[in-house]
Amino acid sequence: MIGDGLFRALILASVSTPLLLLFALGIPSLASRPLREPLVGRLVRLAMAIVFLANSTAFVAHVVSGSPGQLISFGVGFALPMGALGFDFLVDSMSLAFGALSALLCGIVAAFSDRYLHRDPGFNRYFILFATFVLGIELVALAGSVEVLIAGWEFLGLSSALLVGFFHDRRAPVVNALRVFAVYRVGDVAMLSAAVLLHHTAGSGSLLMLFSASASESTVLPAGRATLIALLLIVAVAGKSALLPFSGWLPRAMEGPTPSSAVYYGALSIHAGCFLLLRAGPVLEQSTLARALAALVGFATALYATMSARVQSDVKSTLAYGALTHVGLIVLEIALGLYTLAFLHIVGHACFRLMQFLTAPNVMHDLHELVESRPGAAFPGRWIPPRFHSRLYLFALERGFLDSLIDRFVVGPFQALAGVLDRVDRALCSGGREVAGVAIGESRDD
Amino acid sequence: MTEVRVWLALLAALPACVILASYLPLHVEKLRRLTVASAVAMVAVTSLVFVRPPLQGMELRTPSDWGLLGDHLYLRVDELSSALLPFAALLWALTVSVTPRSALDRAGLARTSVATLLTTACFLTVSSPVLVLVWIGSVGVFLRGMYGPERRHARRVASAYLGVSSAFLAGGVALTAWPNGDSAVLESAGTWLIVVAALIRKGVFPFHAWVPEVFDRGRLGPAVLFSAPQLGTYVAVILVVPRASDRMLETIVVLALLTSVYGALLALAQSDARRACGYLFVSQSALVMAGLGPASEEALTGALVLWLSSGLAFAGLCRCTLVLEARRGRLDLRRHHGGYEHMPILAATFLITGLACSGFPGTLGFIGEELLIDGAVEMFPILGYGVVLAGALTGLGILRMYFSLFCGRRARSPRIRILPREAWTFSALAAVLVVTGLVPQPLVTSRQKAGREILIARTPQSRGDLFFYSTERPDGGLQSRVPTFSMNEPAMPGPGIPPRIPTRRNPPGVEIPR
Repeated sequence: MIGDGLFRALILASVSTPLLLLFALGIPSLASRPLREPLVGRLVRLAMAIVFLANSTAFVAHVVSGSPGQLISFGVGFALPMGALGFDFLVDSMSLAFGALSALLCGIVAAFSDRYLHRDPGFNRYFILFATFVLGIELVALAGSVEVLIAGWEFLGLSSALLVGFFHDRRAPVVNALRVFAVYRVGDVAMLSAAVLLHHTAGSGSLLMLFSASASESTVLPAGRATLIALLLIVAVAGKSALLPFSGWLPRAMEGPTPSSAVYYGALSIHAGCFLLLRAGPVLEQSTLARALAALVGFATALYATMSARVQSDVKSTLAYGALTHVGLIVLEIALGLYTLAFLHIVGHACFRLMQFLTAPNVMHDLHELVESRPGAAFPGRWIPPRFHSRLYLFALERGFLDSLIDRFVVGPFQALAGVLDRVDRALCSGGREVAGVAIGESRDD
Repeated sequence: MTEVRVWLALLAALPACVILASYLPLHVEKLRRLTVASAVAMVAVTSLVFVRPPLQGMELRTPSDWGLLGDHLYLRVDELSSALLPFAALLWALTVSVTPRSALDRAGLARTSVATLLTTACFLTVSSPVLVLVWIGSVGVFLRGMYGPERRHARRVASAYLGVSSAFLAGGVALTAWPNGDSAVLESAGTWLIVVAALIRKGVFPFHAWVPEVFDRGRLGPAVLFSAPQLGTYVAVILVVPRASDRMLETIVVLALLTSVYGALLALAQSDARRACGYLFVSQSALVMAGLGPASEEALTGALVLWLSSGLAFAGLCRCTLVLEARRGRLDLRRHHGGYEHMPILAATFLITGLACSGFPGTLGFIGEELLIDGAVEMFPILGYGVVLAGALTGLGILRMYFSLFCGRRARSPRIRILPREAWTFSALAAVLVVTGLVPQPLVTSRQKAGREILIARTPQSRGDLFFYSTERPDGGLQSRVPTFSMNEPAMPGPGIPPRIPTRRNPPGVEIPR
């Protein structure tokens, strides 16, 4: 039986090590004295080893002890008479397993990145963002309070967007990074709204009480509220995991360095939404409508992604859509209540897809060409009636026209509204003489 | 008492020293160094409030033989002002440390000192006549900084809006202090006038149009120093919240919530960095006002925290923009300007300050917004989510600006590197925002105490004390604006204290001592 004190120390090591790594890399950079490459590499490897050891030891100890899930609190960010913002962590087999898996995969990617980005001008920046990511994923995995979950969730989103725009001297990565971040923000709004609504309804910030697998411990919410919260969570998960209708950002995210694409869109970040949905299973179970929607979204995403994966012309996009296919299936499994299968699916798929992503550059290098030399060759032509074949092919090739649909029905009206409001404001200040137009979203040539 | 007087004398002497030095034939860089030293010293002096208990609760009154003005409380240091004073000093230090040489002159440095002196005086007083004078004085200093024919239009717009707000404030104060007649009607009319004055000054919809115009076509530096301390919030807290009806405060909160989303939306859509900063201010400033509702201690605490965090973060963001502008000219957000490699510190500071504005975890803004969201949703179950939306839109707008200003094709000119004094200042600012975000307890506790004092001041028995304190003073001893209370004591019952509603941090069935 492991002592409570040692448990606390292990959890503290899991979450504080990435934070310390972030400071260790970030502060010298802020002081214009960035650390040298070899030192950065050693620090990152050391940190990843500590995080993995702490997580895996805690996991083994928890399984051996057979104790139920518990909250470990590290005091509060602030305590007020009306309540507190807590640094609480939920310790159960699922959170510790996901934490250990994340640490392991991050360690592999860190070692890979150390060589992959050797002498890259953004070497230091990459590892600062990588440390932010590790911190985010560990917080999401071990979160025991909504504040911790939101913090982890936002760290993931920001580091993801900044890594998509890692090669920021080119325009395309930057534009795509902003697009990715915009979708993440939609998910963040849904996530935060769900959290606030959940707590105003249940009156608790503890994820142990809200997301407990035990029906006796879970909080039964009023039916309408439960449905609303579950729907908001599905939107949040859809944004983070690129489910329909937010899948359009996934190929854009491939602009980042391959190691970051591997860990984000092959292994961990894309599964973070699934993990959250898995944890929120008890809330999801209280709403049939939400479960049906989750199943529908998961199935539709899997179908869409598998078709799109078969017509991609570059290996990273093919792999990303392949990953999305499985993410859709995992969401479907969660909606059907197959939680153990879904968790095993997450673990297996994350490992497998990470390996595929990391080996892809070598394979490409060895073949001196794109791996998929005949895009569309794998498109399932035999099963589709001929008159639909070309339309379906076009649909897959255009990635479901998602980007153009969002441009037309979301971005366009938004720009029009903002333009009108801005013109009104300018007119108010110029007495109506000047009605200068604003070219919102217009882009000048660099 | 001697210690108190020395402390006050230092507060006045440090800016005054710069003002006097500006008349000497000093080189402008030397004068800047003196100003920076004075500002840093002022940060230290104002921070003494935290470590020297005698300074808190200090009050000064006019002599009782001054006739109508006799025995009038004109200066006090309370929980609210304890954090606002270092805040004003920090803004001054930030301003003078990173002002580009091209925009530096002796008169400008003197104006920053006068503006800081007025801001400090404002945060030190609860007297409505003094507040009116300080308000008008700060407007005057600001307008005086907007010289030159190219700024004529912005000056005209600002004069119109701020002139009206000053007139409304003076009128409101006069009406509420009117000794005769139907006092309820006059007081209500006067309070409404003060509300409108505060809304105009803070750029809350529908009185916001002057803010982006002044940021765009006026001078950005003075505009930041004028806006960031948010004297409008102080006036609202001191003169409006204690006496306003619930309906009045709810109107303010609704307008503020709408404005926060509106400002963030338009900031995201701008093609010019200055104008985007203007709309960001509109949004941030409104978020602070959104916490001034009648029934939520949590929201009020959040608003008071946001006041500090958004003020510092927003000032830092605008200063980064100014530093960039000094090297590149006007910044068009439709282009990607590049240059990250040459100024990573500036880029990092821009991102950190911007994210603090959007309430990103790990910064002080996160703490303020977390509290504000809970309180706002508690007050307005649907409209309260505007805080969430505003935060998301602000974050997106910040990242858009970051990508535009620092990413893109590499700039090769070595001249765009930033100077050591700028690097140190920006690093220190980023550190302040992050450290207070990671260890927020002392600041939040202080703001919560201040928030409670404000809410207690809304109780009917204390409302009479709030305008002209001197009339209520029973004897020559020191008297607090609000009934004395201790954090360890149970809450004072009264209609001004919000009922315990189950919220995120306030689960039902768990009695938390107030």
